[in-house]
Amino acid sequence: MLELRIALRFLWRNKVQSLLIILGIAIGIAVQVFVGSLITSLQDSLVDETVGSSAHVSLEPGDGQTAFAFTAENRATVSADPRVTALAPVQSLSALVAVGETSVPVAVKGGELTDLDSIYGLSEKLVDGEISLTGDRIAVGKELAEQNGLAPGDALRLVLADGSTVETVLEGVFDLGAQAANERSVFSGLELAGSALGRPAGQVSAVEVQIADVFTSPEVATDLGAAFPQLAVTEWQAKNSDLLTALQSQSTSSYMIQVFVIIAVMLGIASTLAISAVQKTRQIGILKALGMSDAKTGLVFLYQAGILGVIGTVLGIAVSLALIAVFSSVARSGDSGLFPIEPRLGFVLLSAGIGIAIALISAIIPFRKTARLDPIQVIQGG
Amino acid sequence: MSDVTKEYGTTVKTKALRGVSFRVENKEFLSIIGQSGSGKSTLLNLLGLLDRPTEGTVSLLGTDVGALSKKERAAFRNKHLGFVFQFHHLLPEFSVRENLLIPTWIGGLKGAASTATQTRKRAEEILDFLGVGQVADKSAEQISGGQKQRVAIGRALMNSPDILLADEPTGNLDTENSALVYDLFRRIHDEMGTTFVIVTHDRAIAQQTDRIIEVTDGLISEDVKNEYLDAPAIRP
Repeated sequence: MLELRIALRFLWRNKVQSLLIILGIAIGIAVQVFVGSLITSLQDSLVDETVGSSAHVSLEPGDGQTAFAFTAENRATVSADPRVTALAPVQSLSALVAVGETSVPVAVKGGELTDLDSIYGLSEKLVDGEISLTGDRIAVGKELAEQNGLAPGDALRLVLADGSTVETVLEGVFDLGAQAANERSVFSGLELAGSALGRPAGQVSAVEVQIADVFTSPEVATDLGAAFPQLAVTEWQAKNSDLLTALQSQSTSSYMIQVFVIIAVMLGIASTLAISAVQKTRQIGILKALGMSDAKTGLVFLYQAGILGVIGTVLGIAVSLALIAVFSSVARSGDSGLFPIEPRLGFVLLSAGIGIAIALISAIIPFRKTARLDPIQVIQGG
Repeated sequence: MSDVTKEYGTTVKTKALRGVSFRVENKEFLSIIGQSGSGKSTLLNLLGLLDRPTEGTVSLLGTDVGALSKKERAAFRNKHLGFVFQFHHLLPEFSVRENLLIPTWIGGLKGAASTATQTRKRAEEILDFLGVGQVADKSAEQISGGQKQRVAIGRALMNSPDILLADEPTGNLDTENSALVYDLFRRIHDEMGTTFVIVTHDRAIAQQTDRIIEVTDGLISEDVKNEYLDAPAIRP
């Protein structure tokens, strides 16, 4: 591997120049990995905040209906879809909570605690009291409790749209992570909400479904619609087109940044290698005169580019991972408003591949220049 | 070399050689002389497979080298030819010993460690023979001009070439080092049987070779045995 040995010697001979190229590649790759991971994690965080604790797909009554029967067989059909990770048959109703002389509008959702936990994680998000949702027990959002001076153990009267009332006991306070949701949300057992609505057992307002990949919700909705043609099936993306546009715009800007960083790195390496090829013209000419082929002399620069690319990329990834670790550490340490960045192995490996590839592509100009070099010019030129 | 013509340029053509023919015998020690621009360096470039003739045939060691591909010509150069240039052209990135080993590496040192050891030993023998064994581990930049040219001669000898081509080998040296280089050439020729073709404008050097070919305006004007010039010997 004479070409490799010569490449190493050329790089070592121009240590400062080599170091500058490595730093250039490292900074480029670090920016690419950091920005790419930041945007991806930001999007994940936004999507999680938006739909992490809500239904991705909902089965709702057909036209003119307010409820539908959802049997164990129906449940088995939905659960059999491998994309489905959680489902909860629920009763939904609007009500007023009587608080002293005033009343507060709320949205009551009734369901089995295990089902509601699988979608909303109520048990994990409990901040006061306890939660069982059995009998007349209910749980309310943190802001609803704070703004109205409610505490576990309080007796609460729900006033329904038809003027009827339901007596309940507040057993727990939860925090869904969103103020608007906390101000209006009330959870009860399936039976309590069903009887308030006067529905027979087995009739529900909706079935809420969560899926593994939130962005496949249109396909899942289509399939569930085919399985339950009498029901209306909705999915979260159709209701959040603004968010999707924002995510798409973020992705585009992220790609643009990454592409320009890559172009800048590539131009940097290419120009430096081209200068190196000029600096080493004499050596290359002599090697050719001594019998080294055009391809092998070109390989010297390809090896140089490869060595610079590998070292620069590894360094860049190390720097980016360190930056991500610091950023995530700050994000997890308190109320910084930041979110932790989760670098994805696939993206990091792709960035590494891109880093090495652009270094090798940058060697094309010196490779061709070297291949065309006539040793006579060097020998006679001194 | 048979009826060789070499033209340069595309629109305005210049003939550097015009139908040159001559034959170099095995183990000859000859010089090619001529004025600047006479075509002598072109002749050496053609003999060294660094260039191709516009017309005519160049045969080396029984091979019509005009029929070889660029890659084959490079391999032929490495295996059969040694070069000594006016400027030493050593690679400053390598030590003196490594500079000697480069032609061997280019030729493809095959496998066994014993081969590498033997090659290294040969490099050291050559350096000792040339009187520069003591600087083997120094960088090629750290030695004197005369030492550099001797190392360049050693590099030309590494692959035991059949023909050693020297282009103004003393053109950049003082009288003492010029004499030393010529002396080495003669010793190498006598002891190793290497064929020498030395291009020079220095008639004093040429006078000491066994045969002198003079090139004038792209043609061979003289091709004689050595006593035809009467210049003083370069050696004291």
